[in-house]
Amino acid sequence: MSASRKSGFGAAHFILGLSIAILVIVVAVPVLLIFLNAFWANGKFNLTDVVAVLSEQETYQALLNSVFIASGTTIGSTIVGTFFAWLVTRTDLPFKKFMRGMFLVPFMLPSFIGALAWKMLLSPRAGYINRFFMDTFGLEEPVFNIYSYLGIMAVEVMYLFPFVFIQVCGALERMDPTLEESARISGAGLFTITRKITIPLVLPSILSGSLLIMLYSMAHFGTVAVLGIENGIYNIPTLIYERIHESAGSFASIRTGTVLASVLVVSAAFIIWLQGKVLGRGRYQIIAGKSFRPVELKLRALRWPLLIFCLAYIGFTIVLPTVVIFLVGGLKTYGLPFTPENLSLDNYKFILFEYQITKDAIFNSVTLGLSAAFITMFAGVMISYVIVKMKVRGKGILEFLGMLPFSVPGSVIALGVILAWSGKYGVNLYNTVWIILVAYIARYMAFSLKANSAALEQVHDSLMEAARACGATMWQTLRDIVLPLVRPGMLAAFFLIFLPSLRELTVSIMLYAPTTRTVGVAIYTLNEDGETVVSAALAGVALVLIITGQTVINRVSARYQRG
Amino acid sequence: MRNRLITLMLAAVFMLGLAAEAASQSLIVYTSMKESLIGRIRDGFIKKYPDIKMDYQSAGAGKLMAKIAAEHESGKILADVLWTSEVPDFYKMKEEGKLEKYVSQATKDPNYLNPFNDYDGHFAAARLGTLGIAYNTKSIKNPPRAWDDLFTPPYKNAFGIANPALSGTAYMSVALLEKQFGWGFFDKLAANKARIGKGSGQVVDDTASGELAASLAVDYIANDKIAKGAPLALVYPPEMLIAPSPVAIIKNATNMESAKKFVDYLLSKEAQTLIAEEGTLPARDDVSMPSKYGLPQPSEALKRSIKINYPEMMAKKESTVKKFVDTLQKK
Repeated sequence: MSASRKSGFGAAHFILGLSIAILVIVVAVPVLLIFLNAFWANGKFNLTDVVAVLSEQETYQALLNSVFIASGTTIGSTIVGTFFAWLVTRTDLPFKKFMRGMFLVPFMLPSFIGALAWKMLLSPRAGYINRFFMDTFGLEEPVFNIYSYLGIMAVEVMYLFPFVFIQVCGALERMDPTLEESARISGAGLFTITRKITIPLVLPSILSGSLLIMLYSMAHFGTVAVLGIENGIYNIPTLIYERIHESAGSFASIRTGTVLASVLVVSAAFIIWLQGKVLGRGRYQIIAGKSFRPVELKLRALRWPLLIFCLAYIGFTIVLPTVVIFLVGGLKTYGLPFTPENLSLDNYKFILFEYQITKDAIFNSVTLGLSAAFITMFAGVMISYVIVKMKVRGKGILEFLGMLPFSVPGSVIALGVILAWSGKYGVNLYNTVWIILVAYIARYMAFSLKANSAALEQVHDSLMEAARACGATMWQTLRDIVLPLVRPGMLAAFFLIFLPSLRELTVSIMLYAPTTRTVGVAIYTLNEDGETVVSAALAGVALVLIITGQTVINRVSARYQRG
Repeated sequence: MRNRLITLMLAAVFMLGLAAEAASQSLIVYTSMKESLIGRIRDGFIKKYPDIKMDYQSAGAGKLMAKIAAEHESGKILADVLWTSEVPDFYKMKEEGKLEKYVSQATKDPNYLNPFNDYDGHFAAARLGTLGIAYNTKSIKNPPRAWDDLFTPPYKNAFGIANPALSGTAYMSVALLEKQFGWGFFDKLAANKARIGKGSGQVVDDTASGELAASLAVDYIANDKIAKGAPLALVYPPEMLIAPSPVAIIKNATNMESAKKFVDYLLSKEAQTLIAEEGTLPARDDVSMPSKYGLPQPSEALKRSIKINYPEMMAKKESTVKKFVDTLQKK
């Protein structure tokens, strides 16, 4: 008996050690190296250099731009997301269920592909929409110039608002409607009820969704790269990219990058802290798991106009850009009108069967996605197990480390892995596919931890205790009790990682080498090289891949839930 | 079912490993030439030497240099031959002793045109890329004839130059134009609201779409799109911009013999004819230019071109790029 206890003890520490090692190597070391390189020069602490970098006009401007664009995007997405969430949960809008599904579609569309499409539609002189209005009404000026702060924010809002939408939908549905009813019975008007009851109750959800968007947008590369650079609008990730590109990876540029990345990490940490505060305060018991049926607001005469508005919004932000991408992908060369003789499937054939770069890119993205998802899924389940279920000393370190992946933006991870894995410390992965894999694991660990710990929390300790009481070893308990029960969580983690990594750009753009382009990188660089039609065709193929993947997953998970 | 899924995933992980390992034994060329050009050169080379398995990696010059630097760091440069349009990179690599000296017989041919007056066999021009003004034939009715035309109203807010920080040829052309006309040239361009684009290919596509009325365009990029029907034309003002694309063998290359054969082939009349057919200027005068491209004979183009001291230009890159961006974006 005592012998088996001892071995269990050893195994627990082994798992704990392994978990800590994984997080330290994959996440902590790269982040630490960024701070070290930013604040440590020639062997001593150096703040003047940091101040010098930050007060340079370009870097300072990029910082301001990151904050400005992220704020605008956050405010816009919050308004749009909350409004649509309210519409599909608390009103009698026709086809609510269908519309709710439609508002989740923007999630699938990578925002940099959206940006490419909007560039084709709204670039000041040649955008199809601008051209149309200028030609039809003889306007001198374009209707809207997408190469602007407003343009960048608008595009980001279009593809990021679901973050708020999902959170608010959930909160509104779980909210106890009797609170609103009692207010009404006491004579409060709709406006008062909304202001005093509904909004305070869903505010925590709104804020947590908004902060997620803020976090994402500050460190987002694609949209700003596609729409901003031409007008000299840089944010932190695009500036880091250009600096490193310009000097073919020289140390001075990487150093500037580390300083900028440190700013990103600090702001991200601040945002996460703020989110914790807001959520901690906002855990009202009133939003409980009970499924009350909230009263629906009668839209009356506005029912159909609002439905048409919603459909128009989807058509304008999803259907139109997608159609443009596919059409441009069919053109012989960019600049030709969309007439049957100019359109063909040749580009699609070319990228799928002939063009080495795009064939490599598709292969790389699929294998990278599968491997990253596979590895991260297993590492995630192990680490979550320690955090959620095990009682060992030293768990606190792991809890802290487990928080790290949530607060480190993609561009920071990319820079960190360059510092850690380019041969300075014995291992050189730079310019190989492995460095992208390591970065993906670091970037997506958060998703895996979240899904797996949620699944593990539902497994009651008594099940394991029963198994141990019956004489099962720790490994047996894990294999026969825990793993089968958390399998849905693992599966969720797998796909939560696999799908986003198919369209990843922010990390891989900093890490790719000539043969290790990912789909995102290939689309972006082909566009930069002026292969507009080829890059549009590849974007089209990527959209098909992503949408098919998502549909399959929805089917599978629906079947899982039904049992 | 689950086991099969896991096997599949393991297979994927394994394949990823293979993909990273795959390396050819015979000849590896790193080049920034576009697929259409390098593809034809490879086909011709393989036809001549069927026993050599040639592989190439095509990417921007900056990416290739970063890869070479990383490979050098880890002990072995995988590339045997480097062929890009970034002349400064070649001077730098020569200085660092990373290039093999090889004087190809082809360079002694009287028909071979050498733009480098300090040629010593470390690298040789394999193409004399030109940059002209590509304009949209729908929006510009009178083709531009001189560089000064770009200061006139039809090009207001509608002339584009690729970002010299991202594109080597764009930097070269900025340096050449500054050498010939002084910095005032860019002040006047800025006054007419000229724009900075991204890559050197993208400005051409933006010209085709009408977003720009005209742009500074690399010859074969524009000619490729013209051949596909884009509403574009390419013209050359009297002072020509020539950006040579040197080819070099990496020091102690694994496949030295094949590398030398490749350089010989690339400088031969046969390969240079392929280059001319792609719509760019060859480095030999005994190749006749297809008339549809409107390019002069290589020797004449070289005579008309703006001359520059490359090492000097290389030293000024950072400050010139910054000044250029600041001027055009009015900071």
